[in-house]
Amino acid sequence: MLSFVQVLTSGIAIGCVYGLVALSFVLIYKATAAVSFMQGEVLMVGGFTVLALNVGLGLPLLPAILCGVVLVATLGAGLERSVLRRALGQPHLTAVLLTFGLGLIMRGAVTTVPAASHGMHRLALPFGDEPLRLGALAIAPQHLLVIVATVAVAGALSLFFRHTRAGLALRACSENPQGAALVGIPVAAMHTLAWGLGAALAAIAGVLLAPITFVHLGMGLIALKAFPAAVLGGMTSLPGALLAGIFIGVAEALAGLLLPEGGKDVVPYALLMAALLLFPGGLGTALRQLRR
Amino acid sequence: MFPFRHLAAALLCTLSLGAGAQSPGVSRDEIRVGSIQDLSGPIAMLGSPVRDGMLLRFEDANAAGGVHGRRLRLLVEDAGYDPKRAVLAARKLIQRDRVFAFLANLGTPVVMATMPMVVEAGRPHLFPFSPHESTYLPLHPLKFQMFAPYQDYMAAATRHMVDSKGYTRSCLLYQDDDYGLEVMKGVEAGLQEVGQVLHERTSYKRGATDLSSQVARLRAAGCDFVVLATVVRETVAAMAEARKTGWNVDMLVTASGYSAQTHELGGAAVEGLYGVAVLPHPYADGASPALAAWIERYRARFGAAPNVWSAMGYTVADLFVQAAERAGPELSTASFVAALENLHTDADIFGGPRYRFSAHDHLGNRHGRLAQIRDGRWQLISDYLH
Amino acid sequence: MKAVHAVLALPAALRNSAAAVLGIATVLAALGVDYALAQLAMIATFAIAGLGVVIIVGQAGQISLGQGALLALGAYVQALLVRHGVPALLALPLAVLAGMAGGWLASLPAQRLGGLYFAMSTLAFALIVEEVLVRWSTLTGGAAGLLVPPPSLFGWSVESAAAQAVFSLACLALAWLACHRLLDASLGRAWRAVREDEGAAAASAIDPLRAKRSAFLCGGALSGLAGALYAHWIGFLSPEQFGLLLSFELLMLAFIGGVRTLAGAWWGALVIVAIPQAIAVLRDLLPAAVAHTAGLEAMLFGVVLVAMILLRPQGLCGPSPGR
Repeated sequence: MLSFVQVLTSGIAIGCVYGLVALSFVLIYKATAAVSFMQGEVLMVGGFTVLALNVGLGLPLLPAILCGVVLVATLGAGLERSVLRRALGQPHLTAVLLTFGLGLIMRGAVTTVPAASHGMHRLALPFGDEPLRLGALAIAPQHLLVIVATVAVAGALSLFFRHTRAGLALRACSENPQGAALVGIPVAAMHTLAWGLGAALAAIAGVLLAPITFVHLGMGLIALKAFPAAVLGGMTSLPGALLAGIFIGVAEALAGLLLPEGGKDVVPYALLMAALLLFPGGLGTALRQLRR
Repeated sequence: MFPFRHLAAALLCTLSLGAGAQSPGVSRDEIRVGSIQDLSGPIAMLGSPVRDGMLLRFEDANAAGGVHGRRLRLLVEDAGYDPKRAVLAARKLIQRDRVFAFLANLGTPVVMATMPMVVEAGRPHLFPFSPHESTYLPLHPLKFQMFAPYQDYMAAATRHMVDSKGYTRSCLLYQDDDYGLEVMKGVEAGLQEVGQVLHERTSYKRGATDLSSQVARLRAAGCDFVVLATVVRETVAAMAEARKTGWNVDMLVTASGYSAQTHELGGAAVEGLYGVAVLPHPYADGASPALAAWIERYRARFGAAPNVWSAMGYTVADLFVQAAERAGPELSTASFVAALENLHTDADIFGGPRYRFSAHDHLGNRHGRLAQIRDGRWQLISDYLH
Repeated sequence: MKAVHAVLALPAALRNSAAAVLGIATVLAALGVDYALAQLAMIATFAIAGLGVVIIVGQAGQISLGQGALLALGAYVQALLVRHGVPALLALPLAVLAGMAGGWLASLPAQRLGGLYFAMSTLAFALIVEEVLVRWSTLTGGAAGLLVPPPSLFGWSVESAAAQAVFSLACLALAWLACHRLLDASLGRAWRAVREDEGAAAASAIDPLRAKRSAFLCGGALSGLAGALYAHWIGFLSPEQFGLLLSFELLMLAFIGGVRTLAGAWWGALVIVAIPQAIAVLRDLLPAAVAHTAGLEAMLFGVVLVAMILLRPQGLCGPSPGR
């Protein structure tokens, strides 16, 4: 039973990272109808940026994270202005391939830095590695950090979308771009904002992932799990994406514990298949129906 | 205007420059050596330092006047772990660049897809990084290997550990690919020699983020010794997870986890971890003057500190240089192979093993040694295990 | 500029084949015969797989993220049969059948799902196939992989690059002809009707489910054929080769070429297979200090991709944005 709870908390923590990346997918998709396949690489760039600021330039951790996230958000916004804008109104797969190409460029660019391609890097946490003990249960501080930060980010996003002008405008844009344009919302600027926010979310996920998997070239692979989460969440529902991410993380962890050897790698996808067949509109829709 | 025409002109130009040598890859003043690496794929973190290590050795040789007056040139193709690109890269190196030999091709799919083509073209296939026996067995005049598959090292190391510590329930956590399977074979063989069987095994997929369920599983099985067929990150994750939950089991990691990164990243959690070392890590702290100078040279040249993979790249290239020197001024494939078959190396600056090749044995080394992380760095705790 | 217009005014097929012949001849002369022919064999093989994408994605309008698994089925069936002494030519139809069977399986969730959700189900299907290949190690060799001998046709072993190229091109030509006939037949019309508007298609007595299923059967067959050839040309199979990356590469291939037309598969394959090689060859012209930068090729390939998508969003064979 103890190991069950132990594994469950790890699953939730990893699931939160999936969820954050899934959030960044959904945010972009809702606002611009583009499926971004570069979020994993953006996450990796985010990790390296913060690392460079922290270790390379000697900035303290918190300012380094803030600067890093802002820098990566600027990168996302800049890419929207220069390249991604052209994919607007094209079929889905144009944006997919465009972002895939941009991802390749980012990955290649980071690889050209020898210090980055030679190994993995540690982003030191301010409060050490000592696990938090709740009775017999031990929670790693990095897992706790992920969970707390995810809750904070989700809260901040929800406030942003409900109570700020930009947030409301972005929402209006996602619901009805023509209508939004008619009432004077600068739709193009909102697209830039969405890509910037999406990049920022991925960068935050990268920073949170750093103490768990370290900063390295392949850390963006996690997006392969986040994308199913986004779809499972319904592609247009922010809480759905987050929940689906946690669902996949937990399913994966528990399958490893409870199922015979070899089952754990198939189970998340088998579950995904089952969930898709049971709730063809994604968890987000199912959630909404439940509420009614 | 078709762009083809420009392309064709440019290509024809380079082709005519490259042609004219008598035996493939060897001209009056140059030896060309090919290598198919992963510089952008899933194991780019190995590929980059291996390549840099090889480059440094060749540049050192060139600075010393080359090998019998011939400059060494390393032609690296990036296949990104993709066998399709590897096959084409091999054809390019064989036919277009006319390389003399292939050195340290990286990754099993890459090696298995290209090796037949390479030996078919009569080029030596030297020291690939792949844990497959077929890289040196059955004996082939052109296939040489410098490290045994993990099997041999792990069998000896497991036996040694179980013998000296009296474990009764040995378990395995492995990556479910060819690497993990090789280790499993070795561990099973080692346990068999002491009359035991593997108590429990569990696997993870490459790139897995979280190993908590695997560790919980091993713990539930009551293991008193865990062999890790992991790479750096998973090694740290497994150790950290076990220690976090208060499970102080002994763990032994393969040569893939024997890396300074393991303790740099793992910190206190990996203290006490055992590892199999084939080539010691080049620590700057406490290095011999020769090694310290090498580390400084590497850092100045590539802008990053060398790691154990850099040392391997350098060693691989060093074996090539030594064999080429012994082959004499009339370098040909035959004279090179003959020289390599008689090569017995001396101790190197890294403190690595001595490599011995013969006409009947193309595997240079079969023995690793045990190391343990103590006070935040790897320390060797045994001699080479036989 | 006049010359450009004159060339563009030629019938598409003639223009394409002239360009192809010119391109092939130049490359042959410049690269060395074997290197160029090996590329040709690989291009033809990937073009066959690309045809599968064109049918499923371009014609029937379904997003498939599981093409790699369909290739894997063909490759493994071919490899296992040939290893057990079945002649390659006899094994080939069975590999094609295996691909079809996989396509049928992958299309089953279409009964309930559409759009991106169905795409996700194909992804899940692909990952499950990959896992089965790893776990069923008594048959497939598991993660350790499987060696595949070169095919022999009537006692003649297809090993040289030239033989590989001829064999692949012959298969491509057959596949192409079959696709061409299918697209002109009622099946092709049903696919396009479903792509444009499922409701309207259903209203005009086209069963969208059947159309989707048949597209997956055909796409699966083509993938199976491509997989079988791939198995021989690479000579070594392991499950990881057929992961998501391959599925993605194939999608990219079809979209760069132009997903709506058969010719798109050929041009896409040319770009995906030959451009990294061209980059490698051109890189050799750079000074050593620059050429030795790791990651350079990946970066350049990304730049080429982005440029191509920006300049020709409909693919090389699609209508250009200026016209």
